[in-house]
Amino acid sequence: MKKTPCLLIFLTLLQSGILSAQSRFVKDTLDASGDSVVVTATRTERKLSNITVPLTIINAKTIQQNGSLRLTDILKEQTGINLTSGFGAGIQLQGLNPDYTIILINGEPLVGRTAGVLDLNRIALGNIKKIEIVKGPSSSLYGSEAMAGVINIITDATMGAPLTVGIRYGTYNTVDANLETKLNTKNFQYQGFINSYHTDGYSIRPNSNSRVRTPIQRYSTTQQIKWDLSSKTNFVLNTRFTNEQIQNEIAVANNGVTIYSIGKENIKDLNVSASVNHRFSKNLKTSLRTYTTTYDAIQNLLTINGLPYRDVLNHNFKRIENQTDWDLNKKMQAVFGVGAVWEGVKSSRYDSEKLRKQNDIQYAFTQWEWKPSEKLTLIGGVRFDQNTQFASAYSPKLSLLYKLNPQHQFRFSIGQGFKAPDFRQLFLDFTNAAAGSYSVFGAAQAQQVIARLDALGQIGNLFPNYNLLKALKPEYSNGMHFTWDWKINPSSALSVQLFRNDIKNLIESQQVGTYISGAQIFSYLNIGRAFTTGFEFEGQHRFNANWSLSGGYQFLRTGDKDQIASIKSGTVYTKNNQGYSRLMKLNEYVGLPNTSSHKLQVKLNYNSPKGYYLNVRAIYRSRWAVNNNNGNQVFDNGDVFASGYVAINSAAGKSFKNGISIQGGIDNISNYIDAANLPNLPGRTFYTSIKYQLQKNK
Amino acid sequence: MKMNLQKIAMGLVLSIALVACTKDEETIVVPVTAITVKDLPADTVTGLGADGRPQYAGSVTYFSLVDNKIVASSDVASTKWDVAFSSTKILINGGTSGPGIGGAFVYVGLFDALKTIPSDSTFAIDNSNAAKFAIPQTSAGWYIYNGLTNIVTPAAGRVLVIRTATGKFAKIEILNYYKGGVTPDATASNSDKLTKQRYYTFRYAYQPNGSKNF
Repeated sequence: MKKTPCLLIFLTLLQSGILSAQSRFVKDTLDASGDSVVVTATRTERKLSNITVPLTIINAKTIQQNGSLRLTDILKEQTGINLTSGFGAGIQLQGLNPDYTIILINGEPLVGRTAGVLDLNRIALGNIKKIEIVKGPSSSLYGSEAMAGVINIITDATMGAPLTVGIRYGTYNTVDANLETKLNTKNFQYQGFINSYHTDGYSIRPNSNSRVRTPIQRYSTTQQIKWDLSSKTNFVLNTRFTNEQIQNEIAVANNGVTIYSIGKENIKDLNVSASVNHRFSKNLKTSLRTYTTTYDAIQNLLTINGLPYRDVLNHNFKRIENQTDWDLNKKMQAVFGVGAVWEGVKSSRYDSEKLRKQNDIQYAFTQWEWKPSEKLTLIGGVRFDQNTQFASAYSPKLSLLYKLNPQHQFRFSIGQGFKAPDFRQLFLDFTNAAAGSYSVFGAAQAQQVIARLDALGQIGNLFPNYNLLKALKPEYSNGMHFTWDWKINPSSALSVQLFRNDIKNLIESQQVGTYISGAQIFSYLNIGRAFTTGFEFEGQHRFNANWSLSGGYQFLRTGDKDQIASIKSGTVYTKNNQGYSRLMKLNEYVGLPNTSSHKLQVKLNYNSPKGYYLNVRAIYRSRWAVNNNNGNQVFDNGDVFASGYVAINSAAGKSFKNGISIQGGIDNISNYIDAANLPNLPGRTFYTSIKYQLQKNK
Repeated sequence: MKMNLQKIAMGLVLSIALVACTKDEETIVVPVTAITVKDLPADTVTGLGADGRPQYAGSVTYFSLVDNKIVASSDVASTKWDVAFSSTKILINGGTSGPGIGGAFVYVGLFDALKTIPSDSTFAIDNSNAAKFAIPQTSAGWYIYNGLTNIVTPAAGRVLVIRTATGKFAKIEILNYYKGGVTPDATASNSDKLTKQRYYTFRYAYQPNGSKNF
């Protein structure tokens, strides 16, 4: 393991751009007319029609025509995805929390999660080529976090105009400006991109001086270089830097007492990846890839009546990886990879913000693709991750594609995903001075810390589960996906998917004891078992050359298996209208919080050959439980729900032949507002933008 | 488990009834009836300050389960009261709270199903710290506090089993914490929530004969 890694492959997304020329045009998944090349499903370039797992592509044109600025804007309009709103805007994929979806940029993971959530507003969409979404456990290729799926954001230096400038102005003084330059020679491609985003934020809570969406000034820049060293070897360098400043006035009400504060936050996010890719022969290629990223967040809160609060998080992640792709013959293709990760976090929420908590990972994976006939493709893969801080993990996966005929194809996949305990669950050392002085200690050191407090005579009671505190195990998910794709005719397509995820070892915080004062002490244990299951429909119909309709629907059921067992055993209570307690029935159970039974989105699209376009998108999400109201810890109809809602967005524009394009749009036309539960959904907003693309000399 | 408890409880009731009949022909076991108390104030808000902050007198409402009435606070050092209420804090007449021999514990189950206090129950007494009261002022007690909406909701399936100031037994189920027995909507204004809160609606059953049966 320690030896110089030989050559590996990384087959990157980037490469796909290099190896196939500019003539390729990326199609959306539902666009039945073309066959895109995708990389996220297998870490090798494959045609979309040969992919064995559920995969969605969102292309640049869709993103642009929808008027999407940030990654969240486009993801919330996808089937099976809902936005979450605690700790920034994360996404819930097929009912699983944001912690369980890995977010990649050009194949490399983003870090800097707060309470498990990556704020996807960090990611500007101005220069991206496409987004690929794989649903289902994908840890067999990507390791930890790829439990619910993978979202890969792909940029590409090889396509597009040499110079693009654009500016957009919208409600709440939101200004988004982009500058993109590209340089393409025979052997060298460069893409540089700068984005500036500013918003005054907004307050949708009545009589509140704190803003739900804070005023933000955010700069991000990405650079990409691809350099063909020879006909067989190339070099790719990607950098991305984001700097975000937030200032906000906050009013926190606690039992009627309001505390006013001014919060300042600065987030810096840097990612650098470099790779060398070499093709030995038609059948053998390899990549050596290095990646380093740091995420730095500093939060200062000055309160008028209380102590100042400072929160610091510094997360860094370094990785070196080698991937080799070997085509044994026309029917058998293999991928091998090995890599090592060095990851560390410093935070004021741990015992000392100067001490870096460290976890090292070594891993290896392999994937075999067998195509016994034109109709059948089978893929099997496994990955092993060895960690210094917690138990190691095996992640197997099997998937197959069966093409019955040109109209019908079936895909089935089964795999195990995992999520490593995060640094917070291992090392948190947090005492809340404001609310009853409760403490939370990470599992890796809880016993030590509590024993030390006990020696000082500060501990009142220790619960039996205190003795169960030990090295946390990863959380595991077993996922099954079955997909039926039906091309009804050249202008209509339908896809049906059934899915089920069974999750065990869920890490949850639990009280392990009390202080002598009675204040609670919490830590983390592997206790939970849960499931998410349901089905999805996606369809598209093209009426004529100009008009098309597309949409998706997800039905979702979720549940905590231990809670279901308690309800069945008759130990869970609820209250009736008079306040009298009674036993809860199983059919009153609504599953996990923040999950909705129904999500539907429909898009009507118009595109004319003269460059005019118009789209109207409606998104519906049914109610979801947000708070337990009757103390039974189980969500039932008596609890607090956020209401279901519909948001309608529309955009229209025109591209002129001289390279200028204009766009105007309205989001949330019906002005739906729910300040408590949907802080990321402002009221009705308007925007307009203009863009100029320097035309290439033909 | 539940069936067993029920059987045991029924058996106990039956045997006690038999014992009662054979021992003393004049004692008739009358099932205790539940009484509902509405809008018992518990240090309600006295006004809102200029900054919107609520103001409280810090008062305690003392209550006699025996007589089903409020006891004057001048009688705090007597055994005339059994339980007392002040915001979400519930005191019993014993320990650091009063001179009686009162005690309590939180029983997880249904009010009606609790026919007999289990013989292995331990009654706790009030300690100087509210978190260690016989009825703890924490999530292990009788209520759930929602920090987002600032709403207090009685927890489902919790019965407060009380030993009164003079050593008799009673059981209480808290039904509501707001005036009129109606919890305000989560979206109600802060002042609405503040002025309506701290009014207890509860039902209780008191067994005057000293037995642990209801």
